[in-house]
Amino acid sequence: MKRIWIDTDTASDDAVAILMALRWPDEEIVVEGISTVSGNVSVEECSRNALYTVELCGKQVPVYEGAGKPLIREPVFGYFFHGPDGMGGMNYPDAKQKIEENHAVNAFIECIQSNPNDITLVTLGPLTNIALALGIAPDLAEKIPMCYVMGGAAATLGNITPTAEFNIYVDPEAAKMVFHSGMPLTMVGWELCRGDANLDEEDIKSVMDIGTEYAKFSIDCNRQAVQTNREWLGEPMLPLPDPITMAIALDPSICTRKGMYYVTVDVQGEATRGMTIVDERGVLEKDANVTVCWEIDIPRWKEALYKTLR
Amino acid sequence: MARKIIFDTDPGVDDTMALTFALRSPELEVVGVTSVFGNAAGAVTAQNALRLVELEGNGHIPVARGADNGIVIPAIELASEVHGKDGMGNTNPPAPKGKLLDIPAAQFIVETVLANPGEITLVPVGPLSNIGLALRLEPKIAELVDEVILMGGAAYTPGNITPLAEANIYHDPHAAQMVFSAGWQVTMVGLDATHQVVMDNAHFDKIFAADNPAVNLLREITPCYRSFFDGVYGLGGAVYTHDPSAVAYAIDPELFEVKKAPIVMETEGKCMGKTIPDEENRWVNYRPTNICVGGKTDRIIDLIVERLTK
Repeated sequence: MKRIWIDTDTASDDAVAILMALRWPDEEIVVEGISTVSGNVSVEECSRNALYTVELCGKQVPVYEGAGKPLIREPVFGYFFHGPDGMGGMNYPDAKQKIEENHAVNAFIECIQSNPNDITLVTLGPLTNIALALGIAPDLAEKIPMCYVMGGAAATLGNITPTAEFNIYVDPEAAKMVFHSGMPLTMVGWELCRGDANLDEEDIKSVMDIGTEYAKFSIDCNRQAVQTNREWLGEPMLPLPDPITMAIALDPSICTRKGMYYVTVDVQGEATRGMTIVDERGVLEKDANVTVCWEIDIPRWKEALYKTLR
Repeated sequence: MARKIIFDTDPGVDDTMALTFALRSPELEVVGVTSVFGNAAGAVTAQNALRLVELEGNGHIPVARGADNGIVIPAIELASEVHGKDGMGNTNPPAPKGKLLDIPAAQFIVETVLANPGEITLVPVGPLSNIGLALRLEPKIAELVDEVILMGGAAYTPGNITPLAEANIYHDPHAAQMVFSAGWQVTMVGLDATHQVVMDNAHFDKIFAADNPAVNLLREITPCYRSFFDGVYGLGGAVYTHDPSAVAYAIDPELFEVKKAPIVMETEGKCMGKTIPDEENRWVNYRPTNICVGGKTDRIIDLIVERLTK
């Protein structure tokens, strides 16, 4: 049995990642809470999308709304990639469930304080909520056994800019704080979520052939992503960074090569804002703080997704 | 009616003088004390804060522990040569009897402000971490706080911890940015004013001629502090009156001369921690800060001495 907390800027690929956690067949996964953060879309829209996803899966998970903007930066959004509602323009109806009254940061702090060393954190968006929680409750970092971060680009191939991946770019100060907080961290960077790791035309057809409402949902809400990925990045088909991160969190053996290094985040530069700097050779001689995933087993990642859609 | 204040502090020698001064002033009602890292580590300043409310029968005042580090940057250069490693001039005082609240400082600030809309003045005299965290936890408090009267910054005068920066702001420049740009009324009691409020040997003699728990504690803990000022500034036993000046403003703003301009923060690099007055609104348009630049400095000192010795 695994207990997890998901922090998310719920747009199309976040929704699929949440679905995977809620429908994982191999082990009992208890999602203790979902916290939303401003990122892909506004935090209110993230909450709406998270609630819909939870309801679609027929589960009861509290959804808490968190930070409405980054720590000190002006918000940056990803509507162009995820669609005007973050869900490919599908305009899903409001879920019956509403967000909880408690602020996400307070709820997360309480959950970890009550369950020290028992809950895995999976972050799929900018790290604003996490930085706030770690700042407000300084002993929290040592009570979280592992945090899987969808974010960064260890090989420096960015998406939102040439040097940065979106989640880290949107709130680089939060990322920097979290990376140096002492909380154990596994970084699943954007470079793992390109090329063959994407769902190509055949893969998408296989998913649709599964025929369940979950399969249809996972493709439909990502339809803007497929289009923008082709037009903007010149990349094939459907990239799914958050689901890949969730797959690794649920089955760490899907990451086949990783290493622990000193990693920091650039907050000063203009061209390098949000760059995740991995000291692979150890030239800075600083203590390693982040486990960086270098390779994943692509067929096993895709099967991890498919089995939650069946 | 007494002015309700939450006193946010990193005791600290001048914090000790400031808090005892506030507790002895009928114009102010201290509804809560929140502690922050700064002059000493977060664990140390929390115990000192408890000690200070108990000192003269104010143990009923709630004390909440806050941040151990800046919101983005870890605590650095803690001023043990100024305030002692124990924040109490290396006098190693006995443990306090009371207990800290169960909730963290940021949450206490939010709850108290929401419960007393329009009535609470925040008086932070250490790094602004708790104030920034509270703002991010509940942005509404920017409309509900009466005023933020902070000790910190150096607008038109050199810094102390660096050539440009004053220590409180330097320890958490990101929190300072949040505070100065939030839209509430901020009054900055910085080095521009405090370096004119000189408490000299004659003043100290007058204070120590009295006999009460506050002055007896100050008599013990000030030697380290006074000799630091002598070493750095050649003041021969006199000190610049930092934190108590902020309390004096809260009691009687007319004692101070003020210039109004929005404050822009430099949060990175060599000039980190510099409080920049943007008088012509070239960079920002948010609410101007009241920047204290001087005042009736003799009367400010007389007020402090009078309250401490009564």
